[in-house]
Amino acid sequence: MLKIENLHTTVGGHEILKGLSLDVPAGEVHAIMGPNGSGKSTLSYTVAGRDGYAASEGAVMLEGTNILGLAPDVRAAKGLFLSFQHPMEIPGVQTMTFIRTALNAQRRARGEAEVSAADFIRLIREKAKLVGLDDAKLKRPFNVGFSGGEKKRMEMLQLAIFEPRFAIMDETDSGLDIDALKMVGDVVNALRGPERGFLIITHYQRLLHYIKPDRVHVLAGGRIVKSGAAGLAAELEKSGYEQFIEAA
Amino acid sequence: MSEALFNNPTPFEVDLQAAFAGRAKATGAQAAAFERFAKLGFPNRRIEGWKWSDFHGALRKLTPANDAEAQGDIAPSEFAALNPLEFRIINGQIELPQGELPDGLRYGVVEPVATIPELERHAIVNLNIAMTGKALGIEVGENTPDRPILIRHINTNAAFAFTQTMMRVSANARARLIETYEGEGSGFYSHLFHMVVRDGAQFHRTVVHQTGADQIVNAVCAAKIDADAAFNQTSLSTGSRLSRHETIVHLWAQGGSAEINSAALLCDDRHADFTTHVVHKAPHCRTRQIHKGVARDRARNVFQGKFEVEREAQKTDAKMTANALLLSDTAEANHKPELEIYADDVECAHGSTCGALDADALFYLRQRGLNEAAARALLVEAFLGEVLDGVDDERLGDIFRNKIADWLVYE
Repeated sequence: MLKIENLHTTVGGHEILKGLSLDVPAGEVHAIMGPNGSGKSTLSYTVAGRDGYAASEGAVMLEGTNILGLAPDVRAAKGLFLSFQHPMEIPGVQTMTFIRTALNAQRRARGEAEVSAADFIRLIREKAKLVGLDDAKLKRPFNVGFSGGEKKRMEMLQLAIFEPRFAIMDETDSGLDIDALKMVGDVVNALRGPERGFLIITHYQRLLHYIKPDRVHVLAGGRIVKSGAAGLAAELEKSGYEQFIEAA
Repeated sequence: MSEALFNNPTPFEVDLQAAFAGRAKATGAQAAAFERFAKLGFPNRRIEGWKWSDFHGALRKLTPANDAEAQGDIAPSEFAALNPLEFRIINGQIELPQGELPDGLRYGVVEPVATIPELERHAIVNLNIAMTGKALGIEVGENTPDRPILIRHINTNAAFAFTQTMMRVSANARARLIETYEGEGSGFYSHLFHMVVRDGAQFHRTVVHQTGADQIVNAVCAAKIDADAAFNQTSLSTGSRLSRHETIVHLWAQGGSAEINSAALLCDDRHADFTTHVVHKAPHCRTRQIHKGVARDRARNVFQGKFEVEREAQKTDAKMTANALLLSDTAEANHKPELEIYADDVECAHGSTCGALDADALFYLRQRGLNEAAARALLVEAFLGEVLDGVDDERLGDIFRNKIADWLVYE
């Protein structure tokens, strides 16, 4: 599904990713854990195609296609979704209008029919209930004045509506209370399936109580330094990242 | 009039002097105005308030157009769907609407009047007073039906044209005026507009400047706002070689309010200058002003806003915001927000920002599937949102949104 091979990324003159390799087969959920500064956000930006985060070496294969070099919107249309650590506020753009515009842009790019206004309203109402956002929020400018938790719910709303092939969740758990963590777990677990993959980037183990990963990887110094089963997360929580920082 | 009015005149000034000398019935006041203009000359960069809009430089090089060319058909206005009462001023010639007069509305071609003291040293206003023969006069009575008045300033092939409008909105009346500046001409156009909004009246003015690239325009509107009256203005400009829209609002009596919003969308070498001066002369008046300028290529957006609060104008509530969005390294924004306050119990604020499109927001939108052009267009439209929100008529708002969308296609 998503196969990263020997990925190198230099940002502002510093090499952050130094030969990262990772394979998330279809149907699996993998977690990446790592200390601050290990390259977690750089990994998500490089895979999603942000300006200034071009890979200098390596490949990112999404369902057999190397997506490096493709525009971010082309990657999105191929089914790649990034849940942002710090979602943007967009004043002057109504939430519903924006999400519908984005959904239809992706569908057009894939040669699929656009979703009508009426169908879209039904869809967004249903998914908003799932993520715990009331209808009034959908009519407001996108994320403007929303709390950190509400912005994360808005990310989960888009995840539920876009139904991407592969989702990267960049520290979605940061700043969330227990109820919101459970909601994130419910949304992801409902979408888990044989045709879909997830990469959960996190600093802490707590989200992994709600989303049980198939594999856990430790990212340190721009490389995956250890991989293991779900139990590795608990082990890290106990022993910390220090051993890996030194190893890296 | 003496032969040597000008000191070292430009070819355009020589033409103007010949045109003035050729006028049939210039009054003494007009001769005096022309002499004042000749003494002042067109405003240049050294004059405070004109340093970013150099009319002297631009008009020195003006090539008079061939005015023998026939006037072609005028296309219907895009505001026709609002069923307005349509006045046309084509190359300076006033055309009144035909047909029955709506109840309570009077209009006609009238003698121009002297200007307000504040404008007596305005060089182009003096020239306008000297050169304008007749003015368009419009009076809106209390029970006039709520039908928009449209004035189309169309300039096609005149080297220069000067017009005046006078408008009175009677006590407790409601009036909506739309003014469009149109035409592909490359000449100079000066419009001087005096108006008064009487006690309790509400006046909405919409100004759309969408001329060809080569026009040079100076439009000056001076409005007197009486007690509990409201002046609400929204302007949209795509600029031209040199364009300057000036709005002077005097809040003359208690309870008056002004809302002055403007947006500029500029490309190539186009220039748009919005200069405003709001004078609070009485207590308990309110002003809100938002300016948004978007410029790319080598375009230049000028905003000069001044609030003046006189000693008697206690409890003034006035707020001004100007934001510029520059889409290229060679585009320019020049902002000059000013507060001059002589009363001690007032709330006045101004803010000014200038920036490029937010790279974080752009990436976010593209990750959601919008291509670069769509993402940029969405952010520009969002940037202009506050000005659009000030348009209270839905049909007018839609026309504005379509205009912005048209502009963005080329962004």
